[in-house]
Amino acid sequence: MTTAWRDLSDALRTFDFINRHAEFVFDDWPGLALERWPRLRSAARAAWPAVNVFETKEAFVYKAEVPGLAEGDVGVHVEDDALLLRGERKSDVPEGYTVHLRERGPIAFARKFPLPGRVDAEGVSASLKDGVLTVTLPKAKDALPRQIAVKAG
Amino acid sequence: MSILTRDRNETSNDKPGYPVRTVAPLVDVFENAEEVLVVADVPGVGVDGVDVRVENGTLTLQAKHPSRQEQSGPALAREYDEVDRARSFRIPDGIDTGRISAEARNGTVLVRLPKVAAVKPRKIDVRAS
Repeated sequence: MTTAWRDLSDALRTFDFINRHAEFVFDDWPGLALERWPRLRSAARAAWPAVNVFETKEAFVYKAEVPGLAEGDVGVHVEDDALLLRGERKSDVPEGYTVHLRERGPIAFARKFPLPGRVDAEGVSASLKDGVLTVTLPKAKDALPRQIAVKAG
Repeated sequence: MSILTRDRNETSNDKPGYPVRTVAPLVDVFENAEEVLVVADVPGVGVDGVDVRVENGTLTLQAKHPSRQEQSGPALAREYDEVDRARSFRIPDGIDTGRISAEARNGTVLVRLPKVAAVKPRKIDVRAS
């Protein structure tokens, strides 16, 4: 027996979808077909994981939202002035269960980010906490700002 | 009610300069003979930030994102907002609401809604008379 399962926000979300979709009707068709539609259908998959990049005095910090990933599901590489994130979120339907709603599917991903400056590849560190991956790339020593003392002559 | 009308992060991106603080998380809902299982993505939120409520036949998930004050440097790129998430569901008949349990794991929340014994399929032994 399958239970009736209702998402209370479903009607509102559908309305929201139509609302946003309606805007694109006035776009030209190629644009609609190639760019808009996949983004609408699965915003999460268009660029997964979503990443924020910060710059501090000593480092560049990349943060990625990777809910459901455990250590070992993600690989972090630095090569040729680029940061590479590669991995897989396994999200199988648990054995013997039927599906009512499926919004968080399995995703295999690989994203490459050109680094905004020179980094010390040896000092790169990465941590995973509550579904957020944080990669800290220390700036190369000779790229750090340096104070030059002015001596009286 | 307004929290239920928001749909994911893209809503906030549609209106730059008008940040949405609460969006609906992506969820999976599964069911077997024993229970209904809800899994929601709440990246950045640990066990302390998750709130699961059962009230008037409604299950409400809320995830409060811890504020990130330590990130002092400027953002060079921003693809997501650190938002709170909330979503509500009507609990179907035949759920033992007193035994609903929840677990936070790797930025996801698992809520288990066990069925009452009467709804579970039961095999009746047939005896020879």
